[in-house]
Amino acid sequence: MKTSKFYVWFRLLWMFLKVNILSPSGPASIGLLYKEAVGKIMTEERFVEAVGFSNFLPGSEALKLAMFVGFAAGGVPGVFTALLGAIIPPTILMLIVSVILQRLQHENWLDSFVAGMSPAVAALIVVVAFQLFRASSRKKVDHRILLIAVSSAAAFWLEVPSPAVLIGAGILGIILFGRRQS
Amino acid sequence: MDQLLQLFWIFLKVNLLSTSGPASVGLLYHETVGKLVTEAQFVQAVGLSSVLPGSDALQLAMYIGYAVGGIPGGFVALIASILPPTVIILGVTVILSRLRRQAWISNFVDGLAPAISVLMLFTAWKIFEKGGSTGWEAWAIGLVSLAAMASEKIPERIVIIITGVIGAIFLS
Repeated sequence: MKTSKFYVWFRLLWMFLKVNILSPSGPASIGLLYKEAVGKIMTEERFVEAVGFSNFLPGSEALKLAMFVGFAAGGVPGVFTALLGAIIPPTILMLIVSVILQRLQHENWLDSFVAGMSPAVAALIVVVAFQLFRASSRKKVDHRILLIAVSSAAAFWLEVPSPAVLIGAGILGIILFGRRQS
Repeated sequence: MDQLLQLFWIFLKVNLLSTSGPASVGLLYHETVGKLVTEAQFVQAVGLSSVLPGSDALQLAMYIGYAVGGIPGGFVALIASILPPTVIILGVTVILSRLRRQAWISNFVDGLAPAISVLMLFTAWKIFEKGGSTGWEAWAIGLVSLAAMASEKIPERIVIIITGVIGAIFLS
């Protein structure tokens, strides 16, 4: 089957536009993307590899996944096509909403809306934190993970700047997890 | 101009140090609230980005960027958020086979995960505490929405919208 490059790029762009309009967040897009991409423009094996890599590297998951799929289907131009498709829908939506909301900033009902939303937003963050903790690629919660969690909690408590704490945790990861593998 | 540079640096940093979109909330809170945006603006940004379709992280970035520096701010935040993963992916796809054996990067990210979770818990508490009232209404809303989201039966964005409406009606 020979298809032109332009057809592949167009296909990619359309696919990512669709996935990003229909899915509410990064991790949620994986299921939809799987149905759209696997068997059509890439193999299952490549897809699993892409998901694995986007968990393993820093930065937004959804974007990394999009770029990996783009690369598998269309090389480096595919990467940029996928990126474009993933960026356009949230950008347009967010610009519209931001402009409207800034105008409403001093309305009283908006304050109460935010006051009601705050506890739910806090709950959302707790849920995501828990999912993240559980889903970190080590399957079992062992004493190393607890050690990192407890020591970073102590550091945050002492108001050490958060980027420094995170870098420290990463280095601790290299030291602790590295020893097990060697 | 200064603020735009500051935005650019913050989002570059946040996207290099967080493993995924939602995980960036904790770090972003510490970097921006009280400095560039208010608590209320941040809560709006998180709420909105989980309600609207598309990548959470990008929407959060753009909303904060817009609040700080208008439309140019929105674009600066967007570009700074995109840059690290793009550069990394382009690098990785080129040296993919070699990197696969580099365990230390994976260990670094694995070490980040528990720390990010802890940071998010701190952030959640701060948002809850400063979100106006910590009376019984806020606890009720918080606990019910926590249960609803943890059960995974009700989509998170529906929960967020409902709590906002409840707030607009009852908390005024």
